[in-house]
Amino acid sequence: MNLRVEGVSRRHPSGFQLGPLSVAVGRGEWLGIVGPNGAGKTTLLRLMAGTEPPDAGHVWYDGQPLAALSPGARSHSRAVVPQRLVLPFDLPVSAVVELGRLSHLPWADRLLPLAPAERQLVEACLEQTDAAELRSRSFRTLSGGEQQRVLLAMALAQRAPLLLLDEPTASLDPGHARQFLELVGSLVQAGHTVVMAHHDLTTVAQACSAVLLLADGQVQAYGGVDEVFQAEQLSGVYRTPLGVMPHPSTGRPLVFHRG
Amino acid sequence: MAGRRLALAGLALAASVLVGLVHGPTPLPLSAIVSVLVHPSSRLASVIVWQIRMPRVVASALVGAGLAGSGVAMQALLRNPLADPYIVGASAGAGLGAVLTATVVGSLVPAGAFVGALAAVGATYSVARTRGQVATLTLILAGYALGIMLAAVQTFILLLNQHSLETVFAWEAGSIHGMTWAPVGLAALLILPAAALLFPLTPAMNALLLGDEAAGHLGVHVSRLQLLLLGLASVMTAAAVYLAGLVGFVGLVIPHVVRRLTTADHRQLLPLAVMWGAAFFILADTVSESVPVVGAVPVGLLTAVLGGPYFLWLLVRTQREGVVF
Repeated sequence: MNLRVEGVSRRHPSGFQLGPLSVAVGRGEWLGIVGPNGAGKTTLLRLMAGTEPPDAGHVWYDGQPLAALSPGARSHSRAVVPQRLVLPFDLPVSAVVELGRLSHLPWADRLLPLAPAERQLVEACLEQTDAAELRSRSFRTLSGGEQQRVLLAMALAQRAPLLLLDEPTASLDPGHARQFLELVGSLVQAGHTVVMAHHDLTTVAQACSAVLLLADGQVQAYGGVDEVFQAEQLSGVYRTPLGVMPHPSTGRPLVFHRG
Repeated sequence: MAGRRLALAGLALAASVLVGLVHGPTPLPLSAIVSVLVHPSSRLASVIVWQIRMPRVVASALVGAGLAGSGVAMQALLRNPLADPYIVGASAGAGLGAVLTATVVGSLVPAGAFVGALAAVGATYSVARTRGQVATLTLILAGYALGIMLAAVQTFILLLNQHSLETVFAWEAGSIHGMTWAPVGLAALLILPAAALLFPLTPAMNALLLGDEAAGHLGVHVSRLQLLLLGLASVMTAAAVYLAGLVGFVGLVIPHVVRRLTTADHRQLLPLAVMWGAAFFILADTVSESVPVVGAVPVGLLTAVLGGPYFLWLLVRTQREGVVF
């Protein structure tokens, strides 16, 4: 999936304006979106997902305008993992992950228990995110990290080539965070296109193939990890003294607080 | 599991229909009732069963089913455990419609209530709608505000026309005394197709529990689903109000009780709540007929008196188990 964002801008009633900006992410690429609070990371993800329409500009999925795609077609093309979801009632985890298959099933099949092949697919997604043992729990009673893994399993069940992740490891412990990022990494290797908004700069530097640095709705830097992760640049954007050195095991940038 | 739950609800419904048919001032044994059910005739027993008791039992079933089904849809649409069939203005609209017809026309109160309920929901929806979509909290608040305005108008009209007070008050308490086939048939033509159309929407209702945005990400056409749920639920509510007046409790609590005892998966919850709602209301109506008071106790009061304590007990029990609503 080639995601292309072209001259897109969006103004909120509060006065905040994102863009105009342009970004392109191709097959097997993993774009990290970083920037201070209120930079417009989530708004950009929402425009990429079609959750809200841009005021100007266009979003293209494989050369097709996103605005022209139906909700069903969109859900076949991209899956979104939100920061968190609050459910009003006790829906079991298995029923939540099954919802990833919703738009793939013919109408009549949606009303019945899943066919064996579909059942296996859902189980595999639960296994992949280490959430299989949660399947009969109520989603509401899970911890934040467990919910995050279930939401990723639901997104995987959509079998969409584009994954949009909003702070996906914010509530995961280091073990599960690493597992999550390795899983996403293997999806990228397999040809998925991934966009991830994230606060942890070092994590983005290890995981992503390209980075977009946003502040106040405008692009501050956009390119390869080494290009964007310059100590001066980061310190200016985040208004705090930051340093960059090579990570001892990966050699990629490691960001730290200076003094 | 699902099959057993449905079978149990079906059995309960069938049993409550029989109880409703057996019960009445003229003693008729079960065997006589079954025989006239199979072979209708012009004998007295057959006339009592088919023309007096059956319309009433079917009306009760429709009211209970309609309100419970509508409650399930509203709670999913608004993602709010406090939502009931009346929350977006249906009861206030029905009340004003009833008062207007009672004072202006003098009769046709149920028809006025029906039109009033649908008109109020339509007004709420059009106020809360922006760019095709509806923010659920706006819908609740708009319904609340509109409800207060309509209730004020209703009270004012009643103060000017106090001769209508008794008619309107009795109607609001909720009753299906002296039901005949004609209104039952009309309500059935609205409630049954609406319930049938609601069922294919149940998978999307599950998605809606995750929120409007997440449902959209999963491929649900959210604005269309919102309109369908609101429309179908309101038709069911208005038809139930047309038959029985403003019956409270059933539409709020039957969905909760069934969800608590079975599942929140709407594919099961909707049919189960519809059947248990019907069974519960038939039994409540039967009991209301046998309370030894001059005239009949309005069934709407009885549902509250019967169901309220059970619901409170269920709340306390599930709280103790550490589950919160």
